[in-house]
Amino acid sequence: MLRFLKALGLFTAAALGAAASPALAAGDLLVAPTRVILDGSRGTEVVLNNIGSEPATYRISLEIKRMTAEGGLDEIAEENVTAAERAALDMIAFSPRRVTLPPNQPQVVRVGVRLPEGTPPGEYRAHMLFRAVPDAAPATAEPKPAGEGVSIALTPIYGITIPVIVRVGDLGAEASIGEAWVSAGADGPAFNFDLSRSGNRSVYGDIEVTRPGLAEPLLVARGIAVYPEVGARKVSLRVPGELAAKLKGPVRIRYAEDREIGGGTIDEAERVVK
Amino acid sequence: MRNYGMKRALVGAAIAALAMNASAAHAASATGTATAKILRQITLTKTSDLQYATIISGATASTVAVSTAGAATCGAGLTCTGTTTAGSYNVQGTNGAVVLVGGDSSVTLNGSLGGTMSSTLTYSSPNITLGTTGGSFQVGGTLSVGANQASGDYSGTFNVTANYQ
Repeated sequence: MLRFLKALGLFTAAALGAAASPALAAGDLLVAPTRVILDGSRGTEVVLNNIGSEPATYRISLEIKRMTAEGGLDEIAEENVTAAERAALDMIAFSPRRVTLPPNQPQVVRVGVRLPEGTPPGEYRAHMLFRAVPDAAPATAEPKPAGEGVSIALTPIYGITIPVIVRVGDLGAEASIGEAWVSAGADGPAFNFDLSRSGNRSVYGDIEVTRPGLAEPLLVARGIAVYPEVGARKVSLRVPGELAAKLKGPVRIRYAEDREIGGGTIDEAERVVK
Repeated sequence: MRNYGMKRALVGAAIAALAMNASAAHAASATGTATAKILRQITLTKTSDLQYATIISGATASTVAVSTAGAATCGAGLTCTGTTTAGSYNVQGTNGAVVLVGGDSSVTLNGSLGGTMSSTLTYSSPNITLGTTGGSFQVGGTLSVGANQASGDYSGTFNVTANYQ
């Protein structure tokens, strides 16, 4: 039915040259919480909710992503994972792996850890992917006669990933804030700074950029991580033009732990933004 | 549209909180206290599809580009009709949260009457910082159309994800 409507929308748009009807978003989703840390044997729960207007089938899976020096996350194919990444995939257990939900129906996904004996201390991480399985491709009822041009239907399979981090043993890490600058890219200005990390686990926290003498922070960015596979990353945050201009000059940058675990300072630095 | 999305997100949050606390509420009933745990959440909703509309191919290979803003560039020798749109996604979550966004960099389309085409995909930003009303990102692309490309309905799927760090 949905596919039919979509096809109809496309047909209408193509035939009349009118604006396409808004997409019927089957597969919209909510995931909470946005980050899972497991230390020891206790498991946790993640809630998945269908916030679309149609029933949808969701698939839940684990994948390996590696942080890049630019601060992105690269997806790594299963055949290319390291032994530690393989161990992360194997030790994280979760259920269910596939669920069909009517609109506004939440589903609890249980997440647990099975630590094989003798697992070396360290931080193990995989990313849990929640995404809607697209409807089966419809049989084309009336093949388009030749000579009528080419029409295109691209179906996105969209989803959310959250990190699932397992910590084994006594781990520690520190981070330090490097140079900060404003750049003018093709897609608009950005505020950038380098963030380096040392130790045997990831660091995670919130960034607050303040100007001495001003009560309100100029910029707040929450949930910035540096994962153990990189020693340093660039943090690049798109900002509006007027803010980019305001950020230039002396600022104080504070990288603090998550508010939920106390909000302690990880590093703080005074920088003159170029 | 945005208000509607927000409302749905709030409803979702309430349900998520309820779902998570079913057992806690039971445990607490003996002492008459109630607990509520609010979890941080993220929602992803699609607000428009990437559409190249209808193309009539020419005698030479060419391309059709749809920018992340939705503007179309119809290559030499092609006739493009219909309204093109960029794919657009809305993300809701904690105010100030930085969400990495992206997906496949290309997609192959198969024609209903045979033939294939490919399209590159571009994303408006590698990350977005959510405001009080969330944030959004767009997907554009460049479709390569062969010389005298077989007509038909071409379809393909590609992956898009919003990633928390």
